[in-house]
Amino acid sequence: MSADLLEVENYSGSFRSKSGQLAPVLHQVSFRLRTHAITAVVGETGSGKSLVALSTLGIQPPSFVRTSGRILFRGIDLLTLDEPGLRAVRGGQISMVFQDARAALNPVFTVGRQLADVWQLRHRGSRSAAMRQAIEALRRVSIPEPERRARQYPHAFSGGMAQRAMIAMAALVCEPALLILDEPTTGLDVTIQAEIMDLIVDLTRTQGLTTWLITHDLGVVAEYCEDVVVMNSGRVVETGSSEAIFTTPRDVYTRRLLSASQLAEPA
Amino acid sequence: MSYDDSAVLRVRELRKHFPMGGGRSLVAVDGVNLDIAAGETLALVGESGSGKSTVARCIVRLIEPTSGDVAIDGAPILSLDPAALSRVYRRIQMVFQDPNASLNPRMTVRQVLDEPLRLHLKMPRQAREARVRSLVEMVNLTAAHLDRYPHELSGGQRQRVGIARAIAVSPEIVILDEPTSSLDVSVRGQILTLLMDLRRQLNLAYLFISHDLQVVRHVADRVAVMYLGGIVETGPTSEVFGSPKHPYTRALLSAAPVPQWGVAGARAARLRLVGEISSPIDPPDACRLAGRCPLQQTSCTQGKPQLTDLGGGHAVACRIVAAAPVTSPSGHG
Repeated sequence: MSADLLEVENYSGSFRSKSGQLAPVLHQVSFRLRTHAITAVVGETGSGKSLVALSTLGIQPPSFVRTSGRILFRGIDLLTLDEPGLRAVRGGQISMVFQDARAALNPVFTVGRQLADVWQLRHRGSRSAAMRQAIEALRRVSIPEPERRARQYPHAFSGGMAQRAMIAMAALVCEPALLILDEPTTGLDVTIQAEIMDLIVDLTRTQGLTTWLITHDLGVVAEYCEDVVVMNSGRVVETGSSEAIFTTPRDVYTRRLLSASQLAEPA
Repeated sequence: MSYDDSAVLRVRELRKHFPMGGGRSLVAVDGVNLDIAAGETLALVGESGSGKSTVARCIVRLIEPTSGDVAIDGAPILSLDPAALSRVYRRIQMVFQDPNASLNPRMTVRQVLDEPLRLHLKMPRQAREARVRSLVEMVNLTAAHLDRYPHELSGGQRQRVGIARAIAVSPEIVILDEPTSSLDVSVRGQILTLLMDLRRQLNLAYLFISHDLQVVRHVADRVAVMYLGGIVETGPTSEVFGSPKHPYTRALLSAAPVPQWGVAGARAARLRLVGEISSPIDPPDACRLAGRCPLQQTSCTQGKPQLTDLGGGHAVACRIVAAAPVTSPSGHG
């Protein structure tokens, strides 16, 4: 197996306006995700960090048009796959967790049912076996009383519990190789954030995942991530190990972002 | 607890209980005391559900408190009728978290800033025009922004308008409710710098409500930490961050990731709480942290602990810590 699970190569694209004009938003984006590592893609609003992840799963907004580049997963360019090809990759190979877990869960089905449906889709088997797996996944992410919780609807879950359930679905029920998390702790309290991040690190290790964490929080990066990709205005401005980014940042924007995050006087 | 007569804002035993039906009530604020001196910044920190925003809203009576006293320069305000209360708003103003929601989308910046001058200060038209121009300059916007609507401004610019509106009537106290939470970090720094400059120029007292510990450490003179409606620890910022005493404060500070390399190792000895925040509905007469706290003893469920002064204005509401104060090594940075 190659050392990199995913390679984004010179990926560029634009949004097409209603009048047909193209507004470029991604410019020659290139980075790699090392197998079994946790890589942070950091940037502020509008940096394009989420758009690259959505493109990887083929769920970018319809108005987005690729103008160049490839996204290679295990050597296959995901951007060339048709819908059945993408469906084979989504979930089972690459799964994704979004920022607002309670919005990502379906409000009219129980949480257990939603996890069981996904398990059955992938593994077949009986309803009751699927539900047992769902409960086991909830237990594995430290949701107390998983049997009772599985019978509840998403509205009965706190934000932190809902995010645990989503991570259980994405990382355990789907059993992917690559887990993408888009701002998974934004909007959660810091004590809950710490627990969720601990869980993500734990699952990355025990499940052998490669983890792609999209975040604007350099504190989370320093604490939990091995590799970093810094994006600004649709460009990758710097890549490197966390240590290198924090101790010897080369790019001007990286330095500015660091000093702003640390509330230090700009260098 | 200091009963400093120099306090420009004093809050005593503030309570807010929301009736829930069936005779139950949600205790959002449970006996909060605060003092803020002229020109001082007190940060009120806590996680969601701690009641920090309810405290702010009760102080300015956007929510009517259940009981308690709030006084500005010694003059009580909770008993005032609407006309008299409106005069108080010249002295205390508020900046809200989300400038998209707190600015009227149909009003230009000029109209937003003109209104308080007209209503509160009854200034003549020409004086208002001059004041509006000086206000936009004070928050580092330009006269070109005056005829724009909120949707034509960036998030940071909108928050500058919210700040300009708050200082328009020359208040002594400004309540800032998560003023930077909806902003990117680079904009956050600019807004904080602006707030600090204005505080110095205008000798403003700030009640700074935030869950962002990094920001609080940067701007506050003193800190009060809230958990489930009550203040669990208060003191000078350097004391509370450097030597946190209450188990909740220690858990909160050690959970917050620091954007620096090599700090994480020091946090390996993180103080962890068990489970999630307990229900604020009809809470028992016990420490609110009971059930989650690693230091818990049987006495913790026998009555709610009061704030005990440890010296130097540093007070903690924990019997275990107050009985045997330990120097905790868990402060970071």
